[in-house]
Amino acid sequence: MAIPLLVGIVFVTFMLVRVGGLDPVGRLAGPTATAEEFEMIRAELGLDEPLWKQFAIYGGNVVRGDLGESWLSNRPVLTDLKERAFISIELLFWGVGIGTLIGVPIGLRAAFRPNGRFDQISRVLSLLGFSIPTYWLGLVMLFVFFYLLQWAPPGIGRISLMVSPPDHITGSYLIDGLLTARWGAVQSAAAHLVLPVICLAIVSAAPIIKQTRAIALEVLSSDAARYARASGLPPKTVRRLVLRNSATPVVTFVGTEITGLVGTMSLIEYVFAWGGLGQYGLNAIVRGDFTAVQGYVLTLALFSVIVFLIVDIIVNLIEPRSELT
Amino acid sequence: MSLLEVENLRTHFISRDIDNQIRVAEALNDVSFTLEAGKVLGFVGETGAGKSLTAQSICGLLRPPAKVICGRVTFDGHDLTAMPADDLNALRGAEIAMVVQNPRTSLDPLTRIVDQLVRIHQAHAGGPLAASRTRAMEMMEAVGIPDPKNRANAWPHELSGGMAQRVLIAMALMNNPKLLIADEPTTGLDVTVQAQILDLLKHLTERFGMAMIIITHDLGIVAHYSDEIAVMFAGTIVEAGPVSEVFEAPGHPYTRSLIAATPERLKVGGGAKLGGQPPDLYNLPSGCALRTRCVFASDVCATPPPRTRVGPDHDVNCHFAGDLPS
Repeated sequence: MAIPLLVGIVFVTFMLVRVGGLDPVGRLAGPTATAEEFEMIRAELGLDEPLWKQFAIYGGNVVRGDLGESWLSNRPVLTDLKERAFISIELLFWGVGIGTLIGVPIGLRAAFRPNGRFDQISRVLSLLGFSIPTYWLGLVMLFVFFYLLQWAPPGIGRISLMVSPPDHITGSYLIDGLLTARWGAVQSAAAHLVLPVICLAIVSAAPIIKQTRAIALEVLSSDAARYARASGLPPKTVRRLVLRNSATPVVTFVGTEITGLVGTMSLIEYVFAWGGLGQYGLNAIVRGDFTAVQGYVLTLALFSVIVFLIVDIIVNLIEPRSELT
Repeated sequence: MSLLEVENLRTHFISRDIDNQIRVAEALNDVSFTLEAGKVLGFVGETGAGKSLTAQSICGLLRPPAKVICGRVTFDGHDLTAMPADDLNALRGAEIAMVVQNPRTSLDPLTRIVDQLVRIHQAHAGGPLAASRTRAMEMMEAVGIPDPKNRANAWPHELSGGMAQRVLIAMALMNNPKLLIADEPTTGLDVTVQAQILDLLKHLTERFGMAMIIITHDLGIVAHYSDEIAVMFAGTIVEAGPVSEVFEAPGHPYTRSLIAATPERLKVGGGAKLGGQPPDLYNLPSGCALRTRCVFASDVCATPPPRTRVGPDHDVNCHFAGDLPS
């Protein structure tokens, strides 16, 4: 299932990038280049070949695990991506993790007392979370907590410039610092995580609140819940039944939510100069770095496939109706 | 003393429309009936007549905007309308058990059959788990589930509709109820299974000495399985009495048209058929709700029809009860 999907994605991104009107040659050659130099660079990049041949070459390389070289960093795209993947996943993990831990209980509580005061407040909060532009939230948080209050470090990377990063093990300064017992680095890395994580948590919690509330409300009015009440089961048992039956749709939703957040991630990484995958992809798109864009999109696709696989596994564990058990 | 006595029960849906005006749907108006221990009472009527709502009002299962406005429900000497919610909850599933119309979706999809049976027993009777398990096996046997030992560990989605309905009946029996309310127990099942389930219910009421209320829109079911019948129309019981009496000599124009509409009668071509639509519960006609559609209606029908006794235990809510042309 996943393999034809990935082939399709490789093809579509390849074509999109090519017809997107990006011109890497002009950028690489510079404003003073002559027509001959243009042609030389074009030939060097392989852009003088017909489109189908370009795709055949690229496709063949991808199968062999070679995503090409970035024209900007002059390094293999795969190396660039590998370096940055974990950095972004770390941010995403904390952000969505906290967003879920906040969003799910709020949504459930709102559903158990629909139209109560708690529900109304939660609705306003989730509406706010929906409508605030991510980059604006990041900038305002930096302005308030770094510039005005000086509680948070500046938004220039994942660790203070005064602290040397720990040895590279996973790529996460927090985990690497813990593993190598570099407490100063751990502290600085944690401090730098706070603002972008809060930012991402707010943005991800809003839809989770809304969706969890809707799911729980539906389960509450389901035949099974109504029959449980008609059977005189204690309210605690009925609540447990509703929670258990809400689990599958909530987990599925959070899964789709994670894959949908990668765009938001790019903006947050940009604002906080995070240097992860999102920022790399955004840069590549803006600068017309074909191979890097393709590699970035392919990585996201692979990431989505993995997330959905994990969702499937979790659903399998809680659902007797699923086919795989 | 009767097992269940319902007096002047009124249930209304109170909501607000888009102009924030209060709207009231008079869903139940003055429902009164009694049910003796061990008897079977059949409720018939069209969709929206208030059959299920009567059952829900009795059990305290109404959800907003539905609300019991007034009336008394006395069950086994307890006034259910005045009972605290927790006590009523303890009564439901124990003294008064329910069988509903969507058995497959009404079972908890994430719990094995036997655990659901045990759960309802534990919630009310308590006691050692092993005793609840034994009881569960006995009840599965009693409702005719083949190979109960194996079926016990099935998930609800693995059951057919008929099997799931048997499980619901077993759940209802777990705590030895005095009253079983079967709310359209066979609506979703195919005809051969319908008969099996109804025969089973009838047999179980006799075996365990339960009283039963069957809610249905199938006159045939009532004729076959109940001792008494209550015909509902627009939130009122328009005619009630022993089944043989009512079918023999229907006293209300609505009952007559219902009986006339059964396939057997249609063939012989007898009886007046009823035209028109069910009345708008937000805007009921004054007096008799049927008067806009009734061929016998006259000016007097704009006043509330009196309850008239036309035979032994046979009551009709009609101004012309007893002297309708036959």
